[in-house]
Amino acid sequence: MIEAHSLTKRYGDKTAVDDITFTIPPGSVTGFLGPNGAGKSTTMRMIMGLDRPTHGSVTVNGKPYAKHRSPLSEVGALLDAKAVHPGRSARSHLRTMAATHGISTRRVDEVIDMTGLSTVATKRVGAFSLGMGQRLGIASAMLGDPRTLILDEPVNGLDPEGVLWVRRLVRQLADEGRTVFLSSHLMSEMSQTADQLLVIGRGKILTAGPVQEVIDSVSGTAVRVRSPQAAELERLVARPGVTVSSPEAGTIDLRGTTAEAVGEAAAAHGIVLHELSQQRASLEEAYMSLTQDSVEYRSDVTPHPVKEENS
Amino acid sequence: MTATLTRPHTVAGHAPRPSVAARRTFVGVMRGEWIKLLSLRSTWWVLGSTAGVMALIAIGVAASLDGFMANPLTASGMGELNGAALVSTGFQIGMVTIAVLGALVITGEYATGMVRSTFAAVPTRVPVLAAKAIALVVLTVGVTVVGIALSYLVTISKLAEYDLVPALDSAETWRVFAGTAYCLVAASLFSLGLGALLRSTAATVTASLTVLLLLPSILGFINIHWVQTVVRYLPLPASQGFLPAGDPNQNLGSGLTATTGLLVIAAYAIVPLVCAAIVVRRRDA
Repeated sequence: MIEAHSLTKRYGDKTAVDDITFTIPPGSVTGFLGPNGAGKSTTMRMIMGLDRPTHGSVTVNGKPYAKHRSPLSEVGALLDAKAVHPGRSARSHLRTMAATHGISTRRVDEVIDMTGLSTVATKRVGAFSLGMGQRLGIASAMLGDPRTLILDEPVNGLDPEGVLWVRRLVRQLADEGRTVFLSSHLMSEMSQTADQLLVIGRGKILTAGPVQEVIDSVSGTAVRVRSPQAAELERLVARPGVTVSSPEAGTIDLRGTTAEAVGEAAAAHGIVLHELSQQRASLEEAYMSLTQDSVEYRSDVTPHPVKEENS
Repeated sequence: MTATLTRPHTVAGHAPRPSVAARRTFVGVMRGEWIKLLSLRSTWWVLGSTAGVMALIAIGVAASLDGFMANPLTASGMGELNGAALVSTGFQIGMVTIAVLGALVITGEYATGMVRSTFAAVPTRVPVLAAKAIALVVLTVGVTVVGIALSYLVTISKLAEYDLVPALDSAETWRVFAGTAYCLVAASLFSLGLGALLRSTAATVTASLTVLLLLPSILGFINIHWVQTVVRYLPLPASQGFLPAGDPNQNLGSGLTATTGLLVIAAYAIVPLVCAAIVVRRRDA
């Protein structure tokens, strides 16, 4: 369980996290979604007591992180895959962390096996790929068998097999009753992994709730109709609050009405329907519409003229 | 998969008690710092070069004895030479490498991001600094013993010619050796404290070496009363309060008493560390 109250962090006159309040429940996977620079990592660092909030407070399992007698049993964190000295071997790195809590070397070897690092455990971390670094970060998070896991961009740099492994791991951990809080800027990853979402942009919470609710709240559900008499049907259902768009000739998407209402209107006027269906927006679409105003680093979208190459 | 992942599910909403026995203790933090130091190659390089440099300087000074004797200007001062001080005279350059170790112990963590792992495991932070200081003291004393023993062995035949071999049954000899270790320990802790405050390796090593080695000789040329007073309280001149000269060319004598010298050196070790302990707790990692 993670509880934040009016959590705020300012660096100089720049506000990275702006008065956010949230609760991350145990027994489920909560996705922390937002564009780069939205304040995800800063929030996670404040949870871990690494950054000091300018204002507000945050507790993990009922206490500020630093107040726990055995912090590694309470929270395991993958904050930054680079939070490791490159001159040390993976095993030595894990042993230094385990030693602080009197965690056995057997447990160190256990997390090495679990994260698939056995063959490289004695190699210097400096030579690791991004994916291996992520696995080491997850191994150190798991050291104390913690009740709460905080994973910042855990699938970054992992191969597809690794992504699947992380997905299964966080599901398993949540099913065991643990609190799992993971951040990502990848919407597709979240829709596969998370039970609920906390969407953040420019330091503020944009929306929060179960994944499907977040999607619905943003896009609403559209009703798609394909009919040779689409134009006539459009006139029939037109009413304030109903918006119509036509992705192609003979097809219309209606928002602000229901499939039932459209079907009944069509039947009453003898209009032929080739298709009548509920359209659910993808998480990706919901995310784009939520964060379009709060993207910190926007790329230049002006199309650059591309010279045709002679073939 | 492992035991952790195949454990029977508990009812969602009730977090399981961790199955891994874990409790943070200061002894554990100490062990962690110890593993950190010994698992890095740089530690061994620095320790090896400290002992090596001390022995090399001792060889050089011992080899210069013939020249001192031949020169009527310095020959008269030979009577005041202390064999033990001559053997351990390389500590002044040993301070350079040991100060680098003191700096790296903390700035290496900031440079690599390791510090976030460290402070996540020990969020109260000050125990980490204390454990680093203790580990440094142990390593520095150890390397001083090795360095002096090595210097003693490589100079013994030359010193015997001038009857300068330090007597191992003399309290004075051991006082000099202990004073040498004291200076090196202080240099390493001074660097650790500065490193925790400045966080950058380059800045820390520069600042540390300037105070330890450069300032006494640079400011020594400025013949203004208050500057000379400052110089007397710099680490190297202050150490002359309790360490006899090991080189007849040297005249860094500060006129401080042995006790004052010891206290001044202690202040260099302790003040930056205490400041660092206060700052490190409040600062973002």
